[in-house]
Amino acid sequence: MYNSVPLQQHALMSQYPSYYVKPVFKKDVQEEMIKSGEAQKLAHVPTRAALNDQTSSVYHDDIINVLINYVMKDGRKVLARELVEKTLEKIKRLQLERYHKATNIEDKNKIELNPRVIVHKAILNGKPLLQLSPIKRGGVKYQVPVPITDKRSQFLSMKWIIEAGNEKDRNTRFYDQLAVELIDAFNNTGRVVKRKQELHKQCEANRAYAHYRWS
Amino acid sequence: MLKTSSLKLLSKRIFYVQPLSTQVQPQERLQTFRTTEDNPLNHTSEHIGQFYKLSPDAKKQLFLHGGLPKSFEVQIKTFTESCLMIRQPSIDIINCMKVINYTNPVVRFVLYSKKGNGKTLSMAHVIHYAFEAGFLVVHVPWVGNWMRRCKEKSNSEFKPGNIDLNVDAAAWLMHFKHQNSHLINNSDFKTSQDYVWSKRETTLKDTPLVELIEHGINRIKFASQCIVALAEEIKKLSQEGKCKTLVAIDGFNGFFYPNTRILTEKKEVVHPGNVTLTEAFLNLSKCDWSNAVVVVTVDELAIAEKDQICCLPRYLLGKKGFEHMDPFVPVPVLAYSDKEFKSCMDYFRERRWVLPVSGQDEELQFLSGGNPYRLMQLCNSL
Repeated sequence: MYNSVPLQQHALMSQYPSYYVKPVFKKDVQEEMIKSGEAQKLAHVPTRAALNDQTSSVYHDDIINVLINYVMKDGRKVLARELVEKTLEKIKRLQLERYHKATNIEDKNKIELNPRVIVHKAILNGKPLLQLSPIKRGGVKYQVPVPITDKRSQFLSMKWIIEAGNEKDRNTRFYDQLAVELIDAFNNTGRVVKRKQELHKQCEANRAYAHYRWS
Repeated sequence: MLKTSSLKLLSKRIFYVQPLSTQVQPQERLQTFRTTEDNPLNHTSEHIGQFYKLSPDAKKQLFLHGGLPKSFEVQIKTFTESCLMIRQPSIDIINCMKVINYTNPVVRFVLYSKKGNGKTLSMAHVIHYAFEAGFLVVHVPWVGNWMRRCKEKSNSEFKPGNIDLNVDAAAWLMHFKHQNSHLINNSDFKTSQDYVWSKRETTLKDTPLVELIEHGINRIKFASQCIVALAEEIKKLSQEGKCKTLVAIDGFNGFFYPNTRILTEKKEVVHPGNVTLTEAFLNLSKCDWSNAVVVVTVDELAIAEKDQICCLPRYLLGKKGFEHMDPFVPVPVLAYSDKEFKSCMDYFRERRWVLPVSGQDEELQFLSGGNPYRLMQLCNSL
């Protein structure tokens, strides 16, 4: 069964004692806190240093940072970040090409040019609502549909997108394929959305086992 | 105090958003970052920081076989137009070219700067000017292609110990012929002496220059020697006043960097002085002729990575190269000024390459340090 027990908050080898608070690094949040007076409370509380992907850049994006971490292998973050940045670039080039091809203004305005919006929507479109979990009853394993947390669902969506990006012939680059998949998922078509729908269909087919979740 | 500062920030932001919206008054915006003056003959220092359109025909004729950086070509495809920014160094050189006394020995300009500041594109602008002004353009797109990644090599028949780069030389002849296709059929362009290639092949005196070039292209074996002959002919033609010449060489310091990647059969490194092509272009960059202008760039990228220490001409050319070029006019290509940066960002926004977000300009200017290439890379993923 899917485990919803909260994970341990801090790693055992944490550099910081537990009373250190996490930093507020986003500019708009900071400004809000200053306005509401909350910032004063934090003034003398020991604070952790910001992580290296936590910046106050106007282009800081939590979801894309998570995607970078999922793309990363063997801790090669620079490479992973480069790949995702190239993906964003490719998305922009593909969409701009479509934009310049469109003849009338209405069609042009319909085309989304912001790669970040495309990535967010694509991940949203790939999120499943249920998943199957093997449960043993009477010596037989049943694939039982169970509800899914938001975080897990986001993880699955990103994982599928990355897997779809990896499924390509040798001559295409990962970031090119990933860009194509993301645009497809943004338009609610393509392999990732199909995979989600197939999972939903399976869940629907196995609805008779649903009661095994609690009995 | 904190509150007032945040208010200040807010008010600054509100003012900032307004000029960014490109759709409201497109006409007025066009005036600032784009110029309708597409002819480089009319460009003056008033146009600095503005973009002008390089017409597809001119681009096809001038830069079909290289001359624009690859990353810039990609941008051209995405933007569906080729726009160059008019910048100080190219305007300086163009102004000089307008007032130079062409009876004096050639003036030599050396463009230098850090990597990615726009040497090649400044030179492209100068080449476009020369093209419009009716100069004969002798343009080497990138010396590094010969010294660092040559396609084929063979021993020279004319000078023992020398190395010919046959395929590259023939490709360059094609490039030269294509760039000057409107001038080269001029009936004045004739050879001044006989050239004997082999027992059966000779080019006689007073044959058209085109035939000399054609011969180099068809008989790849003689392409390198053909370029040497061509260089000598061009010098003579200019001196006689039959044409004005612009010699533009990108990555000129490659001719003086001893550590080439050309190897002989015994795997010995060939000194660039022993490459036949070097002889031709060093001949063209001498100051013993007139009625011409020489514009070269010295670039760190034309030499091995381990020696990319400094971007100044004295270091890159070395002692021998510096003495060869002396006296020259050094032209630094600086990073974007505030005005140029603003205009570049406005151009990106107009092309929908970057979507307007408040505060992006300050951040990008800080991150890129005004370096055009770095700015382009940063904007790629936005």
